[in-house]
Amino acid sequence: MKYLSLIVKNLIRNKKRTALTVFSIAVSLFIFSALISMPTAMTQVLADTAASNRVITHNKSGLTYSVPLAYRQKIAVMPHVIATSSMSWFGGILHDVNDQFPNMAMDHEQAELLFPDWGLTPEQWDQFKKIRTACVVGADTMKRFNLHVGQQIILKGTIYPFNVTLNIVGEMTGRTQRTFIYFHRDYLEEAAGRPGFVSNIWVAVDKSDNVPQLISAIDEQFANSSAETQTESESAWIGGFLRQYRLLLSLFEILGVIVVVTVGLVAANTAAMSIRERRGEIAVMRSMGFPSGTILSTLLLESLVIGILGGLIGCGGAYVALRVFSGPQLGNLVIRMPSAVVFETMIAAAVIGLLSAWIPARAASKMNIVDALRLVA
Amino acid sequence: MADAEFAIEIDHVSRIYTRDEFEVRALDDITIKLPNGRFVAIMGPSGSGKTTLLNLIAGIDHATSGKVKVGGEEITSMRERDLARWRARHIGLVFQFYNLIPVLTAFENVELPLLLTDLSKAERKQHVETALKVVGLADRMSHYPRQLSGGQEQRVAIARAIVTDPTIVVADEPTGDLDAKSAEEILSLLVELNRMFNKTIVMVTHDQRAVRYVEQVFHLDKGILAGIEPGGRAPASGAQAASN
Repeated sequence: MKYLSLIVKNLIRNKKRTALTVFSIAVSLFIFSALISMPTAMTQVLADTAASNRVITHNKSGLTYSVPLAYRQKIAVMPHVIATSSMSWFGGILHDVNDQFPNMAMDHEQAELLFPDWGLTPEQWDQFKKIRTACVVGADTMKRFNLHVGQQIILKGTIYPFNVTLNIVGEMTGRTQRTFIYFHRDYLEEAAGRPGFVSNIWVAVDKSDNVPQLISAIDEQFANSSAETQTESESAWIGGFLRQYRLLLSLFEILGVIVVVTVGLVAANTAAMSIRERRGEIAVMRSMGFPSGTILSTLLLESLVIGILGGLIGCGGAYVALRVFSGPQLGNLVIRMPSAVVFETMIAAAVIGLLSAWIPARAASKMNIVDALRLVA
Repeated sequence: MADAEFAIEIDHVSRIYTRDEFEVRALDDITIKLPNGRFVAIMGPSGSGKTTLLNLIAGIDHATSGKVKVGGEEITSMRERDLARWRARHIGLVFQFYNLIPVLTAFENVELPLLLTDLSKAERKQHVETALKVVGLADRMSHYPRQLSGGQEQRVAIARAIVTDPTIVVADEPTGDLDAKSAEEILSLLVELNRMFNKTIVMVTHDQRAVRYVEQVFHLDKGILAGIEPGGRAPASGAQAASN
C-alpha cells in the first residue's frame, strides 16, 4: 500500500505509452475472449439443450438418408419408450433464400410429452395438435421476421417442389429451438404424396438409466434391414453436429492464443523499454536500501495493472459485443460469453502483465548498482 | 552504532575491476580511520578511485580485499539483502546529478527512503517536512524536480539523504552540476548539517572551493592514498590515515 502512489505515478509517467499498451492488450484480449467463447458457448449449448432421456434414431448411412416411417411404430412399442415423434426436414424459406432458418415437419400427437422444454403453454400445445396447418415458431425467428401468434405464413419449399401455408399457434420461448419452425408431418406427407420416409425419429425414454439399453435394442431391431439405424442420445446427436465445426473451433482457439502471445511479446518490449529508461532511478532506489524483491514487485505490479486494465477493457468489450451482435446479426447464432471465458481472459491478462515485465524487471532489480549509476552519470 | 569510536574504518582495502580481459586496480591497499562527526572531502584526479572509495563506504560496492567498517559494523562480509537493509538505516546518498525521481514531488522524493521504515504516514509526513525545512525548501514540497532549479534539486536530494537520520552522508560531486553560487549554498548546507546534527559527511569533489568548508581532505591518486591535508575548518578531533 505504501508503494501505491509510486506505482500509480510510474504508470502515468508516459500516459500515451501506457494507454497504447493497455489498448493493445485490450484488443488482443477482445479477440481472444470472443474467439474462445465460440467453442465454449457451443459446448454450453450442448449441455443446456440436451435432455438426458431423449434419443434420436436416424439412418446409419448418414443424416441425409431417411428411415422408413414404419420404424416409429416398432420403436413405440419397445420397453421404456414413453413417446415418439418422427421428423422430416422441410428446408423452406419465408421470403428470401438468404433468410435461412431450420424448419421441420413432426408428428404432433406426443410432441408435448417429448418436448416439455420448448416453452409452449398447454393451450398452445392443444392448438398445435388440433389444427392441421398449425405451426410453432421459435422466439428468435418470430422476432427476426416480425411474426406474431395468429399470423398465417407461407413456407416456400426449396427441397420439396411446393409451399406450405401455416398458421402460427405458439411461440417457443424455451432455451432451445429459438430459431426453429415445426409443423404437422401428416400435412407435409399428404402434400408430398405420402413417401413414407422420415429424416429421423425422436424417442422419449422413461428413465435416463435405460437410454443405453434402448439404443442397443433399437439398432439391433433394424440391423441387416435395408435402412439400418444409428440411435444416439440427444447430447451425442447435437455433439455430432458440433463435431463438423471442430476444426473451425480449434482454429478459433489457436488464433486466440496466437494473438495473445503476439501482443504479450509487444507488451514485453514496451515493458523492457519503460524499465530500461528507469534503470538509473532503480539504481538510486537500490542504493537507498530498497531490496531487489521490493523493486521487482513494484515493477511487476505496474505491469500487472496494465494487463488487468487491458483485460477488463478487452473482455468487457467482447462481452458487450457478443450480446449486441450475436443472434440475428450472426446468422441466428446466439453466443454468450461463459463465465469460464471471463476467468480465463483475466488470467491471460494477468499472465501477459506479469510475464511481459518479468525479465526486464528482474534484470533491473538485480543490476549492479555501481554500473547502473555510472550509466546515469 | 553510536558507541563506535570511528565512523569509518577502512582497513587495507583494495578494489580491482575486471574490464574485458584487463584488470583495473581502482583502489590499492587503502587504510583510513575517520572519527564520528567529521566533514571530509576525497579529492584527486579522474580515475584516482574517489568514487570507488565512496561506493565502498556507502555499501553499494564490494572490496576485493580488506575490510570496511562503518559505525563499527563490518560491511564487507554482509549479504546483499542485509547490506540493503544496512544502507537504508545508516547511509544517506547525494549524487552529482541529484537523481530525483522525476514523477514524484519534492515531498514524495524525500519520503521515498522512509517507505523502508515502519513509520506511519503521519510520522513520515512529519519527518519529510522537517528535512525539507532544514534544507530551506518547506515551500517547495509539492513541486516536481522539473519545477526546481539545480540548486533546489540538490537540496531536495540532501533532504532525501538526511530524512532517515543516517549515520553517514556520502556525497558524490554534489556541486559538480551547479553554478558557483548554488555550489556555495550546497556546501554551506552540508557544513550546517555537520555542525547542527553532528553528521559524518564524506564528499567526493573536484571543486577546490570545497576545501574551505571541510575539516580534512584525503587525496587519492591512481588508487592510493597520496596524502591528507587539513581543510578550511578545524576538526573537533584528529583523523588517522595510513597508506601502505
